[in-house]
Amino acid sequence: MNPLILKGIRENLRLKHLVAAGLFSLIVCSTLYLTAYLNGSEGKWDRDPITNDWVKSESSPVNGARNAFTFLLALQGFYLMFLGTGRVASITAEERESGLLDYQHMTPMNPLSKIAGYIFGIPAREYYMFFFTLPFLGHAILVGKLPLANIIQLYSVFFCSVILYHLTAHAVGLVVPKPRAASWVSRIVVLGLYVVLPGLGQAGISFLSFLTILPTYFGKILPILQRDGIEKSSRSVYETKITDFWQDVPFFNLTISPTTFTFLMQGLLILTLLVTGYRKWKNQSLPALSKASAFVIFFIFQFLLLGCLWTFFDKGEASGLIGQEFSANSFKGREDNMIGGLILVISIFFSLSLLFILCLVNICCPNRHLYLKGIQRVAKFNLPRIPRTADESSGLGFSLILGLINLFTYSALINLTLNSDFWVLGSSFLSLCIIPAAILFLTICYLQASREQWFNLGFWGFIGLLWITPLLASLVLGVGWGEENIGVILKLLAINPLSIIPIHWISENSEMIGLPQNLSQDFNSAILFGLLIAGLFAIILQARLFYLRKK
Amino acid sequence: MIQVEDLKIHYGEFVAVDNLSFSVKKGSVFGLIGPNGAGKTTTIKAIATLIEPTYGEIKLGDTSVLHEPEEARSMLGYMPDFPPVYDDLRVDEFCDLFAHAYGQSATERKEKVDLALAQTDLTDKRRDLCKSLSRGMKQRALLAKSLVHDPSVMLLDEPGANLDPKARIDMRNLLRKLADQGKTILVSSHVLTELEDLCDEIGIMRNGKMVVCGSLDEITQSKHTQRTLEIELLKSFPELPQWVEQHATLSGLKETNESKTHFQIIHSGSREEVPEILSQMIGLGVEVTSFTTRKSKVEDLFLEIESGSSSFDQDS
Repeated sequence: MNPLILKGIRENLRLKHLVAAGLFSLIVCSTLYLTAYLNGSEGKWDRDPITNDWVKSESSPVNGARNAFTFLLALQGFYLMFLGTGRVASITAEERESGLLDYQHMTPMNPLSKIAGYIFGIPAREYYMFFFTLPFLGHAILVGKLPLANIIQLYSVFFCSVILYHLTAHAVGLVVPKPRAASWVSRIVVLGLYVVLPGLGQAGISFLSFLTILPTYFGKILPILQRDGIEKSSRSVYETKITDFWQDVPFFNLTISPTTFTFLMQGLLILTLLVTGYRKWKNQSLPALSKASAFVIFFIFQFLLLGCLWTFFDKGEASGLIGQEFSANSFKGREDNMIGGLILVISIFFSLSLLFILCLVNICCPNRHLYLKGIQRVAKFNLPRIPRTADESSGLGFSLILGLINLFTYSALINLTLNSDFWVLGSSFLSLCIIPAAILFLTICYLQASREQWFNLGFWGFIGLLWITPLLASLVLGVGWGEENIGVILKLLAINPLSIIPIHWISENSEMIGLPQNLSQDFNSAILFGLLIAGLFAIILQARLFYLRKK
Repeated sequence: MIQVEDLKIHYGEFVAVDNLSFSVKKGSVFGLIGPNGAGKTTTIKAIATLIEPTYGEIKLGDTSVLHEPEEARSMLGYMPDFPPVYDDLRVDEFCDLFAHAYGQSATERKEKVDLALAQTDLTDKRRDLCKSLSRGMKQRALLAKSLVHDPSVMLLDEPGANLDPKARIDMRNLLRKLADQGKTILVSSHVLTELEDLCDEIGIMRNGKMVVCGSLDEITQSKHTQRTLEIELLKSFPELPQWVEQHATLSGLKETNESKTHFQIIHSGSREEVPEILSQMIGLGVEVTSFTTRKSKVEDLFLEIESGSSSFDQDS
């Protein structure tokens, strides 16, 4: 057995823990399950369509078991996804703080065995508590007559998600330099990755929804949990919509089952986290991702974005509950609203891509310390320069290639939109591409230069000041003096490159939207101002970096 | 066995270790001494593969720590300056975890764990939870854990810091025994007298640099080193302070009793001058009953270096 899993079992499952955790799980699970089961199995009062009298239907154990299944699943998720994730993050952070992780770094175990040891050993007690829910699960499946194939699909995705969450918590513990911050960061990351991003999935970028078990639950389980004897037509509209929605996933012109897509999505993230964990266990001072692995991950990310948005830009069909609301079909004859949906989706696409690039620049571009290390090694080994793929090499080329990949995806979507029969745009391919491309590359230039000349505080402080402060200032101005200062507000917004796409697209389609002439000019000035600021920062910071390195 | 060459370690702008070079012979004990922030722990962590140096080379025998870290790790036993242990593991389970992680079979593990616990005098405590141990006991449990995979190089950061006097003597004897068995030991400590008796060689660090390095005899017999002359007179000699003031290599006259017959004088010249000083004193009419040269101790050296003595700065 893996020594670290054995350690986890020894630490967490001594006799007193076995008794306490077992009893706790048994009491909570039996209370929850029996309550839900008894409540569900009772006959429901309903009006008789003939006599119009209230009659109570017969009690049904099948309905009881089906009703209890969801509660049981929630309890299992609470044990493994909530308690387990928290424990992995906090123990990894604690061991890092105390120095115990150093001992493990020094053992000759394979890094992947160490990762497995941590993510399966630390939550040993949570797995043990989960074990006590299994008899109830067996009862729910047998009595509720739930199809085994669907249950197997659900639990495969469930365990895949559990591993993903635990791996995220572990990777955060290994990567975040300040141990106390690690537990907070892991909570924020888990919340952001698996709650906020899936929310964006509802706005059309469907692949983001597949970071959780919900698509499989809604697609494969909810339909089989309907009360016995109730016709499909009598279900609530929302229930039907949500069930129908998750049956398949549009991807380019294909449809993929939600379970397969969840495995694909979570597999990509697991791969990323494993690469990070492997590198960090191999050598603590290595960046979380190498430049090559960052390329591969960014490329897959862009491919997934393109695949999910394909049908929206091609046929005007958005997936997601919100997405469907702004699909082209919903706005037949109302072009101003149609363009609004399009701007929202393209803005989300651009923002997600740029934020991803920001993360990769932060991870893969060397800070001054790492670059200096590279220079000294080059001198030692008499090399002409630092190899381009080395962690120590300058990240300018790397960042620009990320920008090119992003620009390629963006142009593909624009091309698709312009050739589509569903969208009507008042602008050309070039006019929609040039400004975003310029902003993208100038932003990448200053991000890379600032990352490579400052340490964490300087870099994030700079990004915070440049991207967040103008947004906050524009908010205050907008609330207090909105009408008379619209030009200033737009200029402040344009400093943040994430705002450029909506500003540019509104400006490009101002006639279609019916924007007044003077307001349209404000939009144009804001774009030029945004370009000017990005250009200035790119030139100044690149020149400063060049000077520092020369020195 | 351990070779450190031109080691540089930067933490951002701060230079923690600057051009450090030293070597440790196989089967010997090398002591790193220095004030807080001198770079001792950083150096030990770099040798332990836990910090990647900015520049330089570290070798364990023919193995490069930087280029073959996995191989280097199998040769290393490491004990940090404070004793973190897995609180909820028993002492034998704690040692077994590491024997297991180093790939030993169940039978081999049992044998090695028993031996390590016996060596560190923890056999009676083997079933105790680590959290119930005192700091000193935790330190011993850590040493036991470091011994289970039979490393050829041991890195011990402040090993005696939490031990009572008896345990400290036991630890010193154990480390000496391990060195005699052929293990190479690099130890850092603030308990300087402890290193004097334990180490074959010492290196004194300040501000990330090695100020002086060598065997104790080499260092303390160095011609630049100060020594204390302890002098006892039959009766007081009032002109002695003036004579000391006029003497170029003598300073710091200190009376150590009220009757002014016991003195200590600092001599900073060469060893060969010492008999000449005695004969000069007798020539002056001083009735000397005892004249002793106290060899400069490591602690004196350490204090001298910590205070920034120029003679060492010149040497370095």
